[in-house]
Amino acid sequence: MTLDFSILGTVWPALLRGTLVTVELTAAVLAVATPGGILVALLRGAPSRTLRTVLATLSWICRGVPPLLLLFFVFFGLPVIGIKLPPLPSAVIAMSLYMSFYFGEVFRAGLNSVPAGQWKAAEALGLSPARTLIRIILPQTIPAALPPYISHATEILKGTALAAAVSVPELTSAAKQVFVVTFRPFEILIAAAAIYAILDSLLLVLQIYGERWAARRSAAR
Amino acid sequence: MNFALLAEYGPALGQGLLNTIFLSVVTLAIATPIGAAIALIRETRIPWIAIPAAIYVNIFRLLPALLVLFFSFYALPQFGLRLSPMTAAILGLSIVGAAYMSEDIRGGLAAVDQGQYRAAKALGLSYPHIIRRIIIPQAIPLIIPPYVTRAIIMVKATSLASLVAVGDLTGEAVRATSITYEPFMFLIMAGALYLLLSGALALFQMWAEERMARARRPRTSLTVKAAQV
Repeated sequence: MTLDFSILGTVWPALLRGTLVTVELTAAVLAVATPGGILVALLRGAPSRTLRTVLATLSWICRGVPPLLLLFFVFFGLPVIGIKLPPLPSAVIAMSLYMSFYFGEVFRAGLNSVPAGQWKAAEALGLSPARTLIRIILPQTIPAALPPYISHATEILKGTALAAAVSVPELTSAAKQVFVVTFRPFEILIAAAAIYAILDSLLLVLQIYGERWAARRSAAR
Repeated sequence: MNFALLAEYGPALGQGLLNTIFLSVVTLAIATPIGAAIALIRETRIPWIAIPAAIYVNIFRLLPALLVLFFSFYALPQFGLRLSPMTAAILGLSIVGAAYMSEDIRGGLAAVDQGQYRAAKALGLSYPHIIRRIIIPQAIPLIIPPYVTRAIIMVKATSLASLVAVGDLTGEAVRATSITYEPFMFLIMAGALYLLLSGALALFQMWAEERMARARRPRTSLTVKAAQV
């Protein structure tokens, strides 16, 4: 069978729409899971033993179960507790749920890299805990947390393909929708793969710059 | 918990579990030797084999695994190669898994002190001999933890097979869920079974690390004694 890439001339608007949804989904999950991860990281250092155990168990479950299963769980489960949402927000909720715990691990390692004396010093200077966290502690975690943060962001980008299973019209499902009618799966999937590769590369470029910046910062200190 | 429904869909879920275990075992059995071979090929640093290996690894690490599964399931028939859902899933998951796994193995190989290469070379050992007798035995304890982490990720990734019509644990649980409108029961059961599978792998890791530690102990105590002398 010969390959005929001219089909892309017809289907590109669908792929473009899918790409935009993929970017939107990735950005939304990052926007929810980043503060979620910081919260998880802070709470896992909380004095309450019960709270720490509950969080550790939740983290173990959410990271031990296939993301696809969690997606279905949220998709089927939310309407039962009276929350009716379109597919896209449910996908954002499900993905943010497990990514928060992955980010929690990242930020916990970052927080541990800041000496405890910093908290005490800020307290001695009369800064409120919230201000200490935002102005003193978090900026110092960036060099340690940035590289794993961006590699997890790449995982999110690739993970958005799962949303195809709950009929979110992102890139993978857009590709599927057009190849089942055009019978040209190979050409269309190659195009989708190229788009994913480009999006991934953008994140990788960000990572390279981020790592350089972090190295400069820690060298300056 | 609705026991009538459980009795009705229990067997399907059990079959799904068996399919998930089968998929996991087969993909791991295929991906491990391929991943190891790629890691060794890249370590040789011979350009005409190491560069294609690097390209393979980096292409498949950039793509969503689901997209690769779609390739093997939907796009191969275009070339007259029609695979059953299970075969297509095994092919796709093994290709992706091997790419990631080669990175974990390569990390372990690279972590072995480079002085070991030079020392073995100075003793006149051939390259295959150095790799087989000097590097690999030292790399295995370093490789086991990331290997098991990767194996757990691959077991979780077998759930993608449900999207190319394989009746695996996720597929059966979702089917039962959408037929019975029982939103939580089957999905929670499936989740618990996945946790059991990754728990089993974690136990294997503990066992393997324990065994390694035991195999190493006499040697370390000798070196300590030698140092004291």
